[in-house]
Amino acid sequence: MSSEAITLFMFGTMMVLLLTGQRVFGVIGFVGSAAALWLWGQGSFEMPFNASFQVLNWYPLITVPFFIFMGYMLSESGLAGDLYRMFHVWFGPVRGGLALGTIGLMVLIAALNGLSVAGMAIGATIALPQLLRHGYDKSMVTGVIQAGSSLGILIPPSVVLVLYAMIARQPVLDLWLAGVMPGLLMAAIFGGYVFLRCLFQPRIGPALPAEERAQITTAEKFALLREGLLPLAIFAIMMGMFMTGTTSLVESSVVGAVLSMLAAWWAGNLNRGTLEKATRDTLGISCMFLWIILAALCFSAVYDGLGAVKAVKALLVDTWEFDPWTILVLMLASFIVMGIFLDDTAMLVIVAPLYIPLIRELDFSLIWFGVLYTITCQIAYITPPFGYNLFLMRAMAPPEISLTDIYRSIVPFFFLMVLSLIIIMIFPQVALWLPAVVNGR
Amino acid sequence: MPRFAVTFVRYVDALNYRIGRIAMYLLFVMGAILLYSTLSRMFFGIPINWVLEMSQFLLSAYYLVGGAYALQMDQHVRMDLFYGRLDARRRAITDAITIFFVIFYLVVLFGGGLSSTNYAIQYNQKNYTAWSPVLWPIKTVMTAGVFLMLLQCISSFIKDVAIARGKPIA
Repeated sequence: MSSEAITLFMFGTMMVLLLTGQRVFGVIGFVGSAAALWLWGQGSFEMPFNASFQVLNWYPLITVPFFIFMGYMLSESGLAGDLYRMFHVWFGPVRGGLALGTIGLMVLIAALNGLSVAGMAIGATIALPQLLRHGYDKSMVTGVIQAGSSLGILIPPSVVLVLYAMIARQPVLDLWLAGVMPGLLMAAIFGGYVFLRCLFQPRIGPALPAEERAQITTAEKFALLREGLLPLAIFAIMMGMFMTGTTSLVESSVVGAVLSMLAAWWAGNLNRGTLEKATRDTLGISCMFLWIILAALCFSAVYDGLGAVKAVKALLVDTWEFDPWTILVLMLASFIVMGIFLDDTAMLVIVAPLYIPLIRELDFSLIWFGVLYTITCQIAYITPPFGYNLFLMRAMAPPEISLTDIYRSIVPFFFLMVLSLIIIMIFPQVALWLPAVVNGR
Repeated sequence: MPRFAVTFVRYVDALNYRIGRIAMYLLFVMGAILLYSTLSRMFFGIPINWVLEMSQFLLSAYYLVGGAYALQMDQHVRMDLFYGRLDARRRAITDAITIFFVIFYLVVLFGGGLSSTNYAIQYNQKNYTAWSPVLWPIKTVMTAGVFLMLLQCISSFIKDVAIARGKPIA
């Protein structure tokens, strides 16, 4: 078999085995290690284990548990409840305001954790019951929460961008900064959509009733605004220390985790129970994440060894003579298709070694490509059948929300995300402006 | 189920639960040493060269040793397009078959870990850094973590067979 055929065979086997519903890390690791043994025999016996040293040497991965912990601490601490309340009283009087406020909440939470899990947890348990109680259309609000929480991987700190930075050998700070404007743009697009829909269909997002509004005093409104400053302060301190070089990336993640604990203590919610739950959930998600990376490294080492990278390049550039933009669009489309089967971490580790050299050769910015990649991940997060946010929504949503509601809710947001992706493709400045400004100081 | 299988499941689950509970607190150890080095550098101008490597080792121990506990909590994500629609019994049957893919992978990992650890002990292998720590302790811990994961997978295989037979192990 040629190396292309073997690579295709590996991908095919992986897809089929994934459909059985066995754990993703196990399937990828099996295909990788079995292929290595079959191709190279005894000599490759240590290869899967050696991937663990590659993981070990990627020291920015140390940030993973801390950024995850930060998000969980926040959702356990009750701080998120205050934050929701703040958006509730300030945006409530407008039509669709509670949904708009939820988008704001998701942006703030995205700035305080590295993945989308914390945003989902907070959205589904704190915002969703309130939204439903106030008569918001359930399929719109589940969509808002799923799409909004996916911003967690685009707005810094982002664990996905850290992983990308390591694979593409680009500075983490540039990638994080590049994610800021696209993240805000997406939030604005979601907000615009919610606003317009509620403008024409007031039924799906009613304003807070007058009697409830009357109960909220101006003093309370401003007191809540102060609560909102706390998370912003955490973000500002953490990013400030990182950007000025006072602390390294890894150290900043620890600073963030410590600050989130202090905030929980301030709110009077730091106790054995909350600490235990946050610690346990952090272990669970970190293990899932890192085992997938471990297995995916073994998988990609095999086809890397086969020379598939050169083969793909030869096929796209020399044989088919595609122009750079077609190749770029094909790559992104392949991410969306693969995201159907695979989780984004595995996808990145598996496919990036194929794509990143090509992107570099085509003279595209690797920073910009990182942002585009992350947005396709966000799309993958909400599209069935393999979407983290879909899983989480199913696990956490109140019983009156059916699976059909969840699936239907993501349709408009899918298109809005694709729209954002296209905007950022056409106008790379959206992503590249902020890093340029900061670096040009 | 045969008595020894039930005993195996009990012991493995209890062991991995306890070890996992310890592993999850490694997060705080990692945080503490990183914070210590940050403060030492910021206030006393003394960088501490062993901290970064030590926290890399701790992270490896954290996820490899904690992996089995995460498996117990069913935190390792699956693609559940079809799987999610099955009832509990069919899921158990599917899992009891497909777990062998995972076991195969873990056996290769474990074998590789053993031989790599063995090499590290024999030649007193060190990391090429200023601190230059010997590598066998961390390799031993990592290999042990893989072994615990393997035990947990066998335990979950036994539990799935029991569910498939209609007599789950409580």
